[in-house]
Amino acid sequence: MSILSVFQNLFVPPRDLILIILAAWIGLTLSERRAPRHHVNLDSLSNLLLISLVSFVAGGRVLYALENLAIFAQSPASIFSLDTALFDQWGGLVVAAITAFAYGRRIHLLLWPSLDALTPLFATLAIGIAFSHLASGAAFGKETNVPWAIDQWGASRHPTQIYEIIASILTLALILIQKPTVKPGYEFLLFVALTSASRLVIEGFRGDSTLILGGLRAAQIAAWLILLIALIGLDYQKRLNHEKE
Amino acid sequence: MQPILRRSLYAVILLAGLVWIFASADKTNSETAGRIPAPQKGFLAPEFKLKTSDGQSIALTDYRGKAVLVNVWATWCPPCRAEMPTIEKVYQEYQNQGLVVLGVDSTIQDDPTAIAPFVKQYNITFPILLDINGEASDLYELRSLPTSFFIGRDGVIKEVVVGGPMSEALLRTNIEEIMK
Repeated sequence: MSILSVFQNLFVPPRDLILIILAAWIGLTLSERRAPRHHVNLDSLSNLLLISLVSFVAGGRVLYALENLAIFAQSPASIFSLDTALFDQWGGLVVAAITAFAYGRRIHLLLWPSLDALTPLFATLAIGIAFSHLASGAAFGKETNVPWAIDQWGASRHPTQIYEIIASILTLALILIQKPTVKPGYEFLLFVALTSASRLVIEGFRGDSTLILGGLRAAQIAAWLILLIALIGLDYQKRLNHEKE
Repeated sequence: MQPILRRSLYAVILLAGLVWIFASADKTNSETAGRIPAPQKGFLAPEFKLKTSDGQSIALTDYRGKAVLVNVWATWCPPCRAEMPTIEKVYQEYQNQGLVVLGVDSTIQDDPTAIAPFVKQYNITFPILLDINGEASDLYELRSLPTSFFIGRDGVIKEVVVGGPMSEALLRTNIEEIMK
């Protein structure tokens, strides 16, 4: 049995959630350690995260129930089910982001320093998600004959989950080696740029892309647009920095 | 880095990104997984033929064109036991609309004498297939019990639920999806 098989058997869904929780724990520790260099109050940041987490869980479940209202009307108790599949992940993220933004303003947390402080958490979560993809076999690659291909879902495929793990580890490493003197927002924008660039590249090797406009991969177009915004942001910040000097 | 150099670098990165988007486009839609069998969402459900406890042979192909739920279970597995009444209840509601439920007992890791009392205890009316040699478990890369495969009328797996017990809402949501 290969190492990959042992890993996949160990973290078979829903146990792959353990990998994401572990990544969140490590990421939180890193973010807490780096918060002082961004002049962010640790207690305020912890409260913000707690409220975001609660709104993510509640928002994801309520939105899922609203999307399937007729079904939940037949079994209303399911709204409190421990079944993690009854969840709208993207909806939960949007609710959590809105709640975090509103709460952050209320307690006077500055947006860019707070995002910088949270960047190690985001970067570590990306690693956890990549490992969970490897465990579940999701986000799989397209068929290939390259020597490093893996056998998955009935074919020899690009190990896109491993590409994803390598890219996310490199992103975290680049974030962690940044000097503490950088301007507010720089670390977060760098994370967004690196993550979108790696998604843009890796998506080209995926075997499960959503295709639009005659075969273009939707995720690549979204990643390119996000990369564009992040690079404009980084350039604007460098310019501001330069003018101040 | 000078601003002009920095912006040039950013422009090159963005241009390279655009080139890659077009170079890696899948113009023939050749990556659509639905053409090959694999136990994963978006792929054709692997074919199997198993016998019931009364010796009747049932193949998955017999139900092509129908929405099929394949639920792999074992009598000793607590979440399998917990979700069985819900599956039976929902099956009763949807069978007239064409839903097929195939309960595949992972007999290779179960006590065959415990199956009949189990079926009686839970008043199961859908076919129970015996995976005596683990053939279906291997084909479906079974890693956890219970595991449920929701297969659409086109024979493509629409959802895989590993572990349980499934809530009634999740079961109904996925059944509604495969009945479309």
